[in-house]
Amino acid sequence: MLEGFNFRVIWEYMPFFMEGLRNTFLISIVSLFLALIAGIIACACRLSPWRLVRGLSIAYIESIRSTPLLVQIYFLYFGLPTLGLRVPELQTGIIALMLNSGAYIAEIVRAGMTSVPNGQIEAGIASGLNYFQRMRFIILPQALGVTVPPLLGQAIVLFKDSALLSLISVMELTRVGQTLTSERFMPSEAFFTVAFLYLCIYFVLKSLADWSQKKLIFREAY
Amino acid sequence: MIKFKGVNKWFGKLHVLRDIDLHVSPGEVVVVCGPSGSGKSTLIRCINRLEKFQKGELFVDGTPLHDHSTNLTKLRAEIGFVFQQFHLYPHMTALQNVALAPINVRKMKRADAEALAHEKLARVGLADKADAHPTQLSGGQQQRVAIARGLAMSPKIMLFDEPTSALDPEMIGEVLDVMVKLASEGMTMCVVTHEMGFARQVAHRVIFMDEGSLVETGKPHDFFANPQTDRAAQFISKILTH
Repeated sequence: MLEGFNFRVIWEYMPFFMEGLRNTFLISIVSLFLALIAGIIACACRLSPWRLVRGLSIAYIESIRSTPLLVQIYFLYFGLPTLGLRVPELQTGIIALMLNSGAYIAEIVRAGMTSVPNGQIEAGIASGLNYFQRMRFIILPQALGVTVPPLLGQAIVLFKDSALLSLISVMELTRVGQTLTSERFMPSEAFFTVAFLYLCIYFVLKSLADWSQKKLIFREAY
Repeated sequence: MIKFKGVNKWFGKLHVLRDIDLHVSPGEVVVVCGPSGSGKSTLIRCINRLEKFQKGELFVDGTPLHDHSTNLTKLRAEIGFVFQQFHLYPHMTALQNVALAPINVRKMKRADAEALAHEKLARVGLADKADAHPTQLSGGQQQRVAIARGLAMSPKIMLFDEPTSALDPEMIGEVLDVMVKLASEGMTMCVVTHEMGFARQVAHRVIFMDEGSLVETGKPHDFFANPQTDRAAQFISKILTH
């Protein structure tokens, strides 16, 4: 099946692939970190007692969740310059991924927080613990067990979604495949390699997710 | 110790507490009973302000609870609260459950707080369960840990919100025994319960509530033998015959 495969070209482009892989990795890490911050802020606003703050947060989360990521990327890519903001492709892409994952992370964190029964909070209040102590000792430790596994799931989604940035010519892994395709017209070799490299990262993240799940669920179950 | 003056509370349009006047002295054990939905839980939840009320005055240990500038966190540290569903922290051992507030609210050293927690667990008869997690304990044991958790703060008042209602019948006794002992040591207690044996044995006063009002109050013996209102008589006949 692989007889027609030109491994030499893959080898020749390997430094190029590695650079794409590194960029995909860096873009994902930076976006994930920013998305975590955005998500936690959005979640805090979503649970806020003030209606306006809550409304803004809901508007953000729902508008992101109801539109395709590609549309969001194009919206920022073409929309920001018309607002007079000249942002390079890479930064635009990171902002798009951050806003997109941030909305999902907000809901994941919210699910974790609200999974802690109200009685737990009342018990903390009745003991004289203040808000931060209740967060630190009662709510977060219990929310963590149900939050971390889906967060890592979202990290996997984010990392695969970063492929869409190739469409605004960010030089990440998928873009490298496209380049090889257009320079040598070898799409099979190009995307076989690209897919294989995605698979490698996926397995690293997946085993991290499984490990954390075992670790955290174990704490709940005994 | 606890003084209600014309306290009113609404949940939306539902009037859940109507003109409550009540005075609890230090060392007094008060049992609150009444049909479900009568506002008895709400009443004792007002005492540590787990519930807000809209009208009236409430003083607890001299602290005005109707005043918005009151430091509630500080007051709550002086009041133990035992819930119907225990609400132990599932991710901590019994010992950690009891030691958490002394370490963080009273700022005790960890070793001191754990020694205190061991002492309180021994007091409720669970010295050997210090390292157990709540899921490894029976309902009665969990509720006794919850009482130890309240006692660890050396509270001036202990509030019990139907502490035995979620328990299997054979476990009710062990929890009541702890409460009887506590009452005999002079703790100020407000107990929402249907355990009339407990009321008879240790309560100084029984309060009967219905539809948010404090309908009747009296010494346990008088209240059970000779209720003054029809509503109370009806209630007593129901709970004593089943």
